[in-house]
Amino acid sequence: MSTSILIALLWIVNLITDTGGQLAFKAAAIENREAAGWEHWRHMLRRPWIYIGAVLYIAEFFAWLAFLSTVPLAEGVLLGMAGIVTVMAGGRLWFSEHFTRPRIIGVSLILAGVALVGLGGMSA
Amino acid sequence: MSSRTFFIGGLLVLLVFDTFAQVCFKYTALAAAPLTFDLPWLLRALSSPWVYCAILGYLGAFVTWMTVLRRIPVGPAFAATHLEAVGVMVISIPLFGEILSWVQYLGAALILAGVFCLAYGERGHAPGESH
Repeated sequence: MSTSILIALLWIVNLITDTGGQLAFKAAAIENREAAGWEHWRHMLRRPWIYIGAVLYIAEFFAWLAFLSTVPLAEGVLLGMAGIVTVMAGGRLWFSEHFTRPRIIGVSLILAGVALVGLGGMSA
Repeated sequence: MSSRTFFIGGLLVLLVFDTFAQVCFKYTALAAAPLTFDLPWLLRALSSPWVYCAILGYLGAFVTWMTVLRRIPVGPAFAATHLEAVGVMVISIPLFGEILSWVQYLGAALILAGVFCLAYGERGHAPGESH
C-alpha cells in the first residue's frame, strides 16, 4: 500500500471514529429525558449507545496516534477542523440540530482559531 | 439555569477536569520515567498516585460531557470543546515557559469569540429540534 493511501485511510478512520463516538454519546445522553440524576445514568448504562461511544473513543485514540506518526502536525490540525464540521453535519442529520446564524458564525470563528493556533505554533 | 449559563458553566467545568487530568498524566509520566513500554514501566506508572488522579479527572470530564450533551446540541458543543486548546496554551506559559506567537494569540481570541457566539445562540430551542 502506498503511503498516501495509508494516510487517507487513517484520516477517514479518524474522522469516522471521532464523529461516530460523539454522536453515539449524544444519542446516549438524550434517551429517556424524563429520568434525572442516578436514574438517568442507570438507564444510559443499560443501553448500547454509551458503550458504542466509548469503544469508538478508544479506537480514535489509537487511530490518532497512528495518524500523527505518519504525517506532520499541520495535517493533524486540518483533521481536527474536519471533525468539527462532520460532528455539526451529523448532529443535523441525526438529531435535527439547526444551523442557526450564531452557530454558523461561532463554529466558523472556532475553525479559524484552531487553524491559527495549530499552524502558528509550528513556526514559533 | 438558562441555556447560556449552562453552556458556559459546563464548558468551564469540563476544561478544569481535562486540564487537571492532563497535568496529572504529565506527573505520572515523570514518576514512571524512563518510558520503556514494558511491565516494569507499567508498574511504576500504576504505583504513582498521580495516575489515579488522572483517571478521576477523566471520569469527571466524562460525567460533565454527558450532562452537557443532555441539553446542548452536539455540533456546537463539540466545536466549543476546542476551548481546551486555549486553556493548554495559557497554562503552558507559566508551567513550561512557552512563548506564544502573535498568530497563536489571534487564534485563541477567535476561539474565545466563537465560544461566546455559540453560547449566545443557546436560548431555548427552535421547534422540532430533538434535544
